[in-house]
Amino acid sequence: MTSPENGTLLTIVTHENVHLAIVKLRDGWSDAYQKKAAVVHLSRADLEKLGLKDNARVELMGPAGSVVVIAKLDAAGEAGVGLMPASLYTNRLASYESSSSALIGKHIEARAMPTEKAITPVADLMVRRNRA
Amino acid sequence: MISKTLVCTGCGCLCDDIQVEVDGARLGQIENACAKGAAYLQAAFNPELRAKGSIRGQGCSPEAAIDEAARLLSRASRRLILGLDNSTLETQSVAIDLARKLGAVIDDASSFSYGPLIERIIKKELPTCSLSEVKDKADLLLYWGANPTATHPRHLSKYTYYAYADFNPAGWYPKVTLSSIDVRQTELTTMSQPAFRIKPGGDSELISGLLRESSATNDQARKLSDLIQKSRLCVIFCGLGLVHSLDGDLSAFARMVQMLSRSIRVAVVPMISETNMLGFSQSLHQQTSYVNSVSFAGSVSHGHQFSFLEQVHNHAADCILIVGSDPFSTLPQSLLGKLQGVDIICLDHFTTLTIGTADIVIPSALPGVECRGSMVRLDGDGVALAEPIKDGFPTQEAILRQLLEKVQP
Repeated sequence: MTSPENGTLLTIVTHENVHLAIVKLRDGWSDAYQKKAAVVHLSRADLEKLGLKDNARVELMGPAGSVVVIAKLDAAGEAGVGLMPASLYTNRLASYESSSSALIGKHIEARAMPTEKAITPVADLMVRRNRA
Repeated sequence: MISKTLVCTGCGCLCDDIQVEVDGARLGQIENACAKGAAYLQAAFNPELRAKGSIRGQGCSPEAAIDEAARLLSRASRRLILGLDNSTLETQSVAIDLARKLGAVIDDASSFSYGPLIERIIKKELPTCSLSEVKDKADLLLYWGANPTATHPRHLSKYTYYAYADFNPAGWYPKVTLSSIDVRQTELTTMSQPAFRIKPGGDSELISGLLRESSATNDQARKLSDLIQKSRLCVIFCGLGLVHSLDGDLSAFARMVQMLSRSIRVAVVPMISETNMLGFSQSLHQQTSYVNSVSFAGSVSHGHQFSFLEQVHNHAADCILIVGSDPFSTLPQSLLGKLQGVDIICLDHFTTLTIGTADIVIPSALPGVECRGSMVRLDGDGVALAEPIKDGFPTQEAILRQLLEKVQP
């Protein structure tokens, strides 16, 4: 049994989004990028299971990290599947397992939970590196 | 203001009919380009978006950055060269020479994307065909795990569905069947007649059904089989959705194509987004018999351990030269965190997240806009880039030649 408090398990399927690609080329890692990238499309069944309305915030917890994004209704969506454009948000969720054949980030297992937290800012998703 | 025709290097389509008006450093009207290609060309003329030479965050001339890069590469003991999927064949050739001289590992994004498919096409284990043949002869276009409206916006209009040579008398609908297999509804699936909707990871089951390997051959497999058997030339455009779903193991898919090819002609075309990934794989294969993940340390060797992901995961490299690639915006952040302390040299035309973290940045000319060269389109046809329409940056080929001269293995 699931309840909104326990969240629900999803397979996040990532895909290319041409509008996101254009925004990235034109404006870089801007608010416009965040608006187009910080989105997960869910089925009506999953939105109801999570007690969420269209455009509510949802926290996704993947194997490597978590992000807060906007949940949008996908009327043609399938229960248990979340659709997200491939972006810095999905890069935060995805992990790399050496045992796999190295194809990563297309299907990510994640738990979705309703949340009041703010959408994860793009700046928080950039990897900082100490130069050698 | 002068008018020129160029090849767009914004995606794997390499559209060769882009008309632009240029006035010195200013780009005027752009015709025939898709929105993605136009944004790409406009970015080329926006100084804010162009990479600038730097050494550990301090601005410098490209020459100083090249000298420092040569010093770091010479000092390192475990070098790795990554990228080159958007570089010309000429640049790729010099990069392979550089890897050989340094005894370095060389890899590109195909090792975590289209590599398994490209390898089978190059080794002729999967049949392919050119896009011009598609336009003239194909009567079934099957997009599998691919959505060109998002990745290659002019693919349908310039090369396949809308470009079809033979129209019916009404002149509205091409006499070709457009079909697709996907896990979600897309612009393409709504156009497809029919569209096959499968569950994530359901590609294997569909292939098994087509191969009749399972007693419970499903309805979708039967319908798909009937559709394919009715065609004369079925072109399967394979996207990352298919390659990922099969976890890179394309043996069953290859058996399926072989089986279908007994009664009709089947061709496979990878929907590569990068402009010259196929060119890199071909060049490396010609020299080493491998399409990616090659080490030149001692003799030529190949394996999963030489893929970029494994190299990073295992802290195997101490100096990485990245050419025209942006792993920091495309790969898991948990993995990239393992690059602390590694020297990173980045050679690119645009400002990217990878450039923001690199020790050395060397700005380079944008192929197709600021330099000539050759590329291999996703269907295997060679494309010569047009005369450059602006200058101001050294070419990647020239930079790598300087490094090749200066490095001490």
